[in-house]
Amino acid sequence: MITRRTAVGAGLAFTALAGTAGVSVYGWDAPRNAGAIDALLIDESMAMPRSLAALIGASPRAVPIVGITLDAAGHARLARVLDSSHAIAGISSGATLFCLERIAWDHGFRLTGRSEQSACDPSDGACRQELAAFLAGAYPSAASPSPLVRAYRPSRADGTLHAWVMQKSGRPQFRQSRWEA
Amino acid sequence: MKLPPNVSEADFTAALKEFANIVGDQWLFTSDEDLDLYRDSYSILWGEADERTASAAVAPDNADEVVALVKVANKYRIPIYPISTGKNLGYGGAAPAWPGSVVFDLKRMNRIVEIDERNAYVVVEPGVSYFDLYDYIQEKGLKLSIDCPSPGWGSLMGNALDGGVGVTLASYRSHFDAQCGIEVVLPNGRMMRTGMGAMPGAKTWQQFKPGFGPRIDGLFKQSNYGVVTKMGLWLMPSPENYATGVVTVPKFHDIIPLVDIIGRLEQSKIVQGLWSLSSPTTGTAAFAAHSGASSMPTDPKILAILNSPDGVDMNKLDVAANEAGIPFWAANFNLYGPKKFIEAQWDCIRDALGEIPGARSKLNQIRRLPLPPEELAKMRDLGPLGIPTLRTFDLGPMISYDGEDVVGHIFFSPVIPRTGEAAIEAMDAFAAIVRKYKLPCPPLQFPTAIFERAFLFAVGLPVTRSPVVNAKVREIIRELVAMAAARGWGEYRTAPAFYELIMDTYSYNDHALRDCLNAIKDAIDPNGIMSPGRYAIWPRHLRDANG
Repeated sequence: MITRRTAVGAGLAFTALAGTAGVSVYGWDAPRNAGAIDALLIDESMAMPRSLAALIGASPRAVPIVGITLDAAGHARLARVLDSSHAIAGISSGATLFCLERIAWDHGFRLTGRSEQSACDPSDGACRQELAAFLAGAYPSAASPSPLVRAYRPSRADGTLHAWVMQKSGRPQFRQSRWEA
Repeated sequence: MKLPPNVSEADFTAALKEFANIVGDQWLFTSDEDLDLYRDSYSILWGEADERTASAAVAPDNADEVVALVKVANKYRIPIYPISTGKNLGYGGAAPAWPGSVVFDLKRMNRIVEIDERNAYVVVEPGVSYFDLYDYIQEKGLKLSIDCPSPGWGSLMGNALDGGVGVTLASYRSHFDAQCGIEVVLPNGRMMRTGMGAMPGAKTWQQFKPGFGPRIDGLFKQSNYGVVTKMGLWLMPSPENYATGVVTVPKFHDIIPLVDIIGRLEQSKIVQGLWSLSSPTTGTAAFAAHSGASSMPTDPKILAILNSPDGVDMNKLDVAANEAGIPFWAANFNLYGPKKFIEAQWDCIRDALGEIPGARSKLNQIRRLPLPPEELAKMRDLGPLGIPTLRTFDLGPMISYDGEDVVGHIFFSPVIPRTGEAAIEAMDAFAAIVRKYKLPCPPLQFPTAIFERAFLFAVGLPVTRSPVVNAKVREIIRELVAMAAARGWGEYRTAPAFYELIMDTYSYNDHALRDCLNAIKDAIDPNGIMSPGRYAIWPRHLRDANG
């Protein structure tokens, strides 16, 4: 399981992350006027997001990384992140994004940014360049998302990776911890 | 502002104002952005004029608010559509059955009202999901287990009311049959409790299902006679141990004695856990349509037969499998309970199925529960262990159809006889449709033994965002339904787009059942406000209007 890291510094700074294998990922700078990302969610059901998380996790300037699995443990973990966050980013399959988006709705979040990328090997140079662009496409934005942001194939078998951002919209939160009458 | 059908703008505005007074402004939703969330993501009518969309949504916090809201709706004759968590994708989701209805979103009502370990039951509100109850039981360390459908984000109550099913022991798999006691707000705003709950201060509401007089709980399953606000459900005591076992039989037609013998074991309550069919020969796994877990065989002769454009010749496949030494069928069993009990069950299963020539059996290691988390993390299907997941949502092998991205699935869900002959007939019939329309489904799909005495042959068909392709899929479903009805197979559940189609197949004695359901509707909901059209039950004014 990917370890949740403590946030160091405010805002996003994935620039020039140096992993232990000497691999760098460039490009995911938050715009000055954008809000900070509270956590990066990584789909643990796919190999590439896991290796990407390892790269990001090796940086001393990383935001908290939360591994997402579509089971009871993952659901509980996700609920805690959603309760305590205002903006989250993630890298996942379309199938996982589909589930996360709907769960996040009930916590007042809306999908505000998304880009997609065919899976590739992150140790490969060309792939790293693509990843830079891939991550650059995901940051908090005050602008209304285009309909295309929300139109994606909710599949895992297609091998597509999605980078995305969700933000609390100010809408009411349906899901609040309240089990006992 | 989108208006409900047959409601004036003045009345709708007045009703919305009264709704807001009851729940608070923030829990009334009328903007397009908010109402978008109540569209059915898997709608086969997406973007078309007939898509079922809401005119507004309102989210009460408790049953008293539901009572007040229903009274307002009844006063202004506003059609309403209660949902629990609205997650039954493939069967309608959060969208209303009648376009323009006001969705009553009950997911704020997520209280676990009572849980009794000694008598193994729980009383829940509509918004309690399988995840919620599982987490609660774990947190409290209760020795109770749940039976969940493959998507764990759904509501226990909603799933039961929709006729949903799970995957553990037979007594708990049919979720409506596992309920014991309902609290419901009738269309006139009067609250009622069923069974023993009708007695004030009853001590056995969740312990004795029949109550006194007619047992009317069933009226609230797949219907539109009230808003259910509480439900009792029987839970399974946590089993001490769990084991899987497999029995293989060599020939294709061995499915006939295989099903018969297992059926006897089930009727005798020797087999109680869900068993499933898979095929080592074809590589088809149980629930192939949803899991995508099938793997193609490697034997070249078998592969050639499976890939024949004319369909699979089972006789040739039988011969090829025999030559390769691969059994055709595997029956996979889930066993629960004390170690001695599992071993005794397995002895009976092995001995009974050993009568089939060439049968081989293997009981895997009996494992103490709960399994360690690291082991659970590697398992794809946790449902048999009573652990909810969302892993079913990868849509398996369905990526595109007719050049369009697949965005969801819609179920064709006929109930077929629990015989090997019927299983073969259904497999053949469906495989022919898959070939005819080049559907992105595994050509060979197997029935499931979820129901106690019948097979379910649930097949997921692709949903896209293309009206043209979706129209084609709707026609395929019409063909499948007609094919099934001609064989005496009826659907147990369907999406709103097909309520009428399916109800029309239940036409014995000039639609006597439908007429009876409509007569009850007229008596209990004379203004026709409650979920009009749900499961093809219509109030009089809409029956008259629609001829």
